[in-house]
Amino acid sequence: MFEQPEDAVERIVRQLQRPVPIDPAVDGRVMDEIARLPVPGGRSAARVAWGWVTRPRHIALSPLGGLAIATGVAALALVLSGRRPGSAPPAEDTPREFEFVVVAPRAASVSLVGDFNDWDAARTPMRPSQRGGPLWTAVVPLAPGRYRYAFLVDGSRWLADPAAPRARDDEFGTPSSVVTVGGS
Amino acid sequence: MTLRSLLRAAVATALAAAFVATAAAAQDPRLGRLDPGTRPLVAVAIDSARAAGLPTEPLVQRALEGATKGAPGPLIVSAVQRLAADLGRAREALGPGTTPPELEAGAAALRAGAGPAVLTQLRRARRQTIAVPLAVLTDLVASGVPVDSAAAAVLALAARARDADLVEFRRAVERDIALGAPPTAATAAAAAAADARISQLNAGARENRPGRP
Repeated sequence: MFEQPEDAVERIVRQLQRPVPIDPAVDGRVMDEIARLPVPGGRSAARVAWGWVTRPRHIALSPLGGLAIATGVAALALVLSGRRPGSAPPAEDTPREFEFVVVAPRAASVSLVGDFNDWDAARTPMRPSQRGGPLWTAVVPLAPGRYRYAFLVDGSRWLADPAAPRARDDEFGTPSSVVTVGGS
Repeated sequence: MTLRSLLRAAVATALAAAFVATAAAAQDPRLGRLDPGTRPLVAVAIDSARAAGLPTEPLVQRALEGATKGAPGPLIVSAVQRLAADLGRAREALGPGTTPPELEAGAAALRAGAGPAVLTQLRRARRQTIAVPLAVLTDLVASGVPVDSAAAAVLALAARARDADLVEFRRAVERDIALGAPPTAATAAAAAAADARISQLNAGARENRPGRP
């Protein structure tokens, strides 16, 4: 007597669906066996990683992509070096404070005027020395360069700085002095 | 006079007035301190300098100096025009890439009597900015040092000296002159001392540098 094919399939399916008892320790044994297997080629993970990093590859890059990468690298280099694109070099333009001193006995007011304050007598009034006496002082920040200046006493009397070189190119009939501020 | 020539004169006058008015309208507000007759003439001189690519701030400052000192208008105008011409000469001697401070210092050096060749030599001798060497040269001449001696000393030091060295050199010359030394001798002595100091500093820097294989 022959079994119909459909019946045979149904019987096999039923057999396969029947629960089978499995040893609970089988997972542990499988993992132990895997751990005992040798590493392929005998290479550690670090060596595998090094090999991946150093293996030569061909990279296709469009000109636009290359330009974008170059721009990014340049911008990164500028940022890391503490400079912004377009900014001046950090060099020599940092203003330094200069103290101007003049002796003006019996003066009621003394102003410092020059190329650094638009020759405006109201801009930089000098202060009498705290110790009293005829000394007047003013402190002005100056960037490197050459500046002409003079002292205006009581709003009408011009004084050059006796401690500084005189301006040779003075064309207005009153004395001026020159201060040179170095940048290095 | 024909009607046509009258018309021509009127048009020319109107154009000139428009030019001066345009220059005055675009002028630096600080020039408002000049009297109304002087202001447009100074503004025209400044505009010409700007068009020639020259720095205008020194010109504004020179005009303001004249105004504060109460100088007559024509004197202010001629001072501004002369400074503009000196700035142009300085640029010719120093080259097109010269910075405004260098041009200003160069103009002052030319006014002090230094020849354009000195400016050109100084430009070639020094890689850094030459504003301070030029200013020191001018200051030395103002102190009574003959321009040739001052130029020779500054040229000799310029290649290796820092700005601070040059300013210190100028101070030393002025100090010696104030103590009674002849200007030329004071310059030579101070230049030799500065040169020795710079050599010593450079030798020290070389010694402190890490050795090479």
